[in-house]
Amino acid sequence: MWRPREVDRPTGVFIGLIIVSLVLVTVDIRSAGTGIGATLRDGTQAAFAPVQRFLGSATRPAVDFFESLSDLFSLREENRQLRQRLTALESQIQETESIRIRVRELEALLDLAPPEGIDTITARVLAVGVSEFDHTRVIDKGRAAGIGLDMPVIDEGGLVGRVVAVTENSARVRLITDPSIVVAVRVERTGETGVLRGRGAGPMVLEMFNTDAAVVEGDLLVTADGRFPAGIPVARVSEPARSEVGFALRTTAKPVAAITRIDFVQVLVFTRDEAVVIGFDQGDRLPTQVPADPGDPTEGETEEPPPTTSTTTSSMTSTTVPQVQP
Amino acid sequence: MKARRIVILVLVVLVAVAIQTTVFVRIRPFDAAPSLVLLVVLAYARYLPAEFALLLGFGAGLLQDLLSDTPLGLWALVLTTLAFVTVRVRERLEDDFGLLGPYVLVATVGALTLFSVLGTIFGERTLADAAVLKKILLPAVYNTLLAPLILAMAPRTLGVARRRSASLSL
Repeated sequence: MWRPREVDRPTGVFIGLIIVSLVLVTVDIRSAGTGIGATLRDGTQAAFAPVQRFLGSATRPAVDFFESLSDLFSLREENRQLRQRLTALESQIQETESIRIRVRELEALLDLAPPEGIDTITARVLAVGVSEFDHTRVIDKGRAAGIGLDMPVIDEGGLVGRVVAVTENSARVRLITDPSIVVAVRVERTGETGVLRGRGAGPMVLEMFNTDAAVVEGDLLVTADGRFPAGIPVARVSEPARSEVGFALRTTAKPVAAITRIDFVQVLVFTRDEAVVIGFDQGDRLPTQVPADPGDPTEGETEEPPPTTSTTTSSMTSTTVPQVQP
Repeated sequence: MKARRIVILVLVVLVAVAIQTTVFVRIRPFDAAPSLVLLVVLAYARYLPAEFALLLGFGAGLLQDLLSDTPLGLWALVLTTLAFVTVRVRERLEDDFGLLGPYVLVATVGALTLFSVLGTIFGERTLADAAVLKKILLPAVYNTLLAPLILAMAPRTLGVARRRSASLSL
């Protein structure tokens, strides 16, 4: 017969705390990124951002020193490669400039409105996640700088991730390598579409919809229309695709952004509600996200801009591929 | 426990979390960083009265939860368990100092494994991670390397004798 007296005090406290933790987990999972959990998270992040900002700038010289030590051997080679790339890019710019003038002339001729460019906000990475299993980065700009939920984040290479939480002066970015992230992509060379899944680390998994589509090593994958603006480089195929019997065409692809050592990023001022596909009726929106917030049933059905109140989407995030019919 | 010690504990946890999230942004040998908060909880659980050690683990875990996307309470559960296990074995660790290093290694591996298993159960896909073994083993190795520093720091900041024979009074 069990009597409470047999349990000593530390064990009792331990059991109590474990139960409290489990209750917290359950409540937080049920509220799915809304409610008190999200409020507490945003509050903590907002309160902690100045500390992180201070510590980040205080330790930056030391960190820079260590980083330069580790870079010492690769610098010469990198410098050489960068010079080569610079030369190539310079000549490309010349070409692009002449093409741009031509396009402008043709647009004027055909009376077309040029597509609007997307504004960007440059931000610096303030903090990493608390553990290796946290595929997030905190950046030093927030709502005050115009950053909103769901905005794509890129670095000089390509897509880095997506803003999942915003406070006044900081924002949390979920990286594309997160196992719960799926990005709709297009092979730049052939235009075939597929999805790219994060695996937590290393190369991502690419699944093509068309199993006959040829995917070769080195193919660049860019975002397809949908959650992200079309055409952002995401990854480069690292091995030729092989078709598995009964499954989609699968291969792996390495992200083109320097995911593991990003420092500066750019946030594209773009939310999915601005994505209007030509051929849809005026005002028709793209199919929105798979309902990730059961607590907010109106999302996706209304024409309002997405709520910019900061909510943390802890549930699965995925990108819906729009079925665009010509 | 004296109020001064509680303030020190709170400060230590805050600084540990801040260092964990900022300094290791770019210093990441082999793309991994030590699990500093975990090490701090372990180091202080060796000296604190059992209940306070457990509360320390719970509080530090909750702070980690609030700063990440994991379900609230997951890290709290893991670090409370770590504190509990440390409290249970600390007498033996005092008897044989040679066990400290292996204990830090095993405890870190155990805590991170517990986290990834629970994370998967609660739908975080932590075990689906392609590098799950690396993400458990490398931080454990780094923690073991950092252990002398943090373990020595704990009694100094608390103002207690190195040996637990002069234990804290409540």
